[in-house]
Amino acid sequence: MDFIGAYSQEHLAFLWDGFLVTLYVAFISIILSFFFGLIAGTLRYAKVPVLSQLIAVLVETIRNLPLLLIIFFTFFALPEIGIKLEITAAAITALTIFESAMLSEIIRSGLKSIDKGQIEAARSSGLSYTQTLFFIVMPQALRRMVPPIVSQFISLLKDTSLAVVIALPELIHNAQIINGQSADGSYFFPIFLLAALMYFAVNYSLSLAARRLEVRQT
Amino acid sequence: CGSKGSNGEASKESKKDTLAAIKDNDKIVFGVKTDTRLFGLKNPSSGEIEGFDIDIAKQIAKDILGDEKKAQFKEVTSKTRIPMLQNGDIDAIVATMTITEERKKEVDFSDVYFEAGQSLLVKKGSKIKSVENLGKGSKVLAVKGSTSSQNIREKAPEASVLEFENYAEAFTALKSGQGDALTTDNAILYGMADENKNYQLTGKPFTDEPYGIAVKKGQSALAKEINASLKKMKSDGRYDEIYKKWIKEDPAE
Repeated sequence: MDFIGAYSQEHLAFLWDGFLVTLYVAFISIILSFFFGLIAGTLRYAKVPVLSQLIAVLVETIRNLPLLLIIFFTFFALPEIGIKLEITAAAITALTIFESAMLSEIIRSGLKSIDKGQIEAARSSGLSYTQTLFFIVMPQALRRMVPPIVSQFISLLKDTSLAVVIALPELIHNAQIINGQSADGSYFFPIFLLAALMYFAVNYSLSLAARRLEVRQT
Repeated sequence: CGSKGSNGEASKESKKDTLAAIKDNDKIVFGVKTDTRLFGLKNPSSGEIEGFDIDIAKQIAKDILGDEKKAQFKEVTSKTRIPMLQNGDIDAIVATMTITEERKKEVDFSDVYFEAGQSLLVKKGSKIKSVENLGKGSKVLAVKGSTSSQNIREKAPEASVLEFENYAEAFTALKSGQGDALTTDNAILYGMADENKNYQLTGKPFTDEPYGIAVKKGQSALAKEINASLKKMKSDGRYDEIYKKWIKEDPAE
């Protein structure tokens, strides 16, 4: 183990670059998958004819495939039908497809958890179905969904490391290159320890933030 | 910088001559490794990729386009190199790629540019003297998805094989006692032994692993130019210079 060699200024700067790529890819994917997941989950909850069934088939298919396969698919198979994505775009697309499906299920079950009595009360006081959904059900459901959604975001951030197979220059990728600088592998432990701490710091802050949100609601 | 969307066009027109496209664009794009010591390793401070493969690729660019700066490098992994070649992302693969019959169905290879052979690295004083000593109960460390892990299963069927993502991880495992020997191409083992005097190569290489430069299937004009360039750099001493710089030995004849 060579902590001094592994933690040279150049290595730390290089590892930090990788960390920023991880955060960037995770951040964009979180925004996109929350958006698509919200739409898909709500449509499925509202039982819109045809559209709901179509989304159900899509979501069930994606949810039951490994993310690694979806990453390979976006990078290698899409160019064959004329969609050519750069490494970062391919990684974001794959993560968004997968996590949207996961989030849509969280959102659907959150909406379903709201008591039927409330919907009946809202409808009988003159609100339309759409108004009931957006002003009565959704706000309460979203609050309940905070913990599972945040834990899904945490797995998304960790899952960005899978994109190392298509050479996305993220945290693990850069850690591997730094590890390769020493012939005898003496940087392995120090550099991967640091990478682990970086993942932990972000993810733990996320779950602390989620816990605070929960406390405030009750 | 100033790209004319040439990548997208190339993937659609698979019949297009890569050599002509290289000359039109005045650059040649090589797919290389960035995490492999001696052959292709990124330097974290400069961001440059360095190694035997890189230097060979630069000399090829110099012979074909007249300037080694016209060589461009794109990172590949063992999983992405062939698909990226097929998609037209890269013109040629120079990434420690062993010429095999299986791969010849998918790509065309140049002549051999590096004669590697699989060998064993052990701790000094180890009882293992050759591949024959790897019997039941012994553990061999190898790198995932490489031909070396398949070879060792054939040569030492009794031994159990542990596979790692890359050489550095496999060597860490050897040092921490998770295996009795590490197997891969000798050139990489020489690099490890050179920097870590407690470890040595043992026995003779037990396979023939010729590294070749891969081009898209049917691109014989480019393959011919690459072969001419390899021949030229072997005769004028540039090849020996690169070999000594990275492998720290004279090329074996």
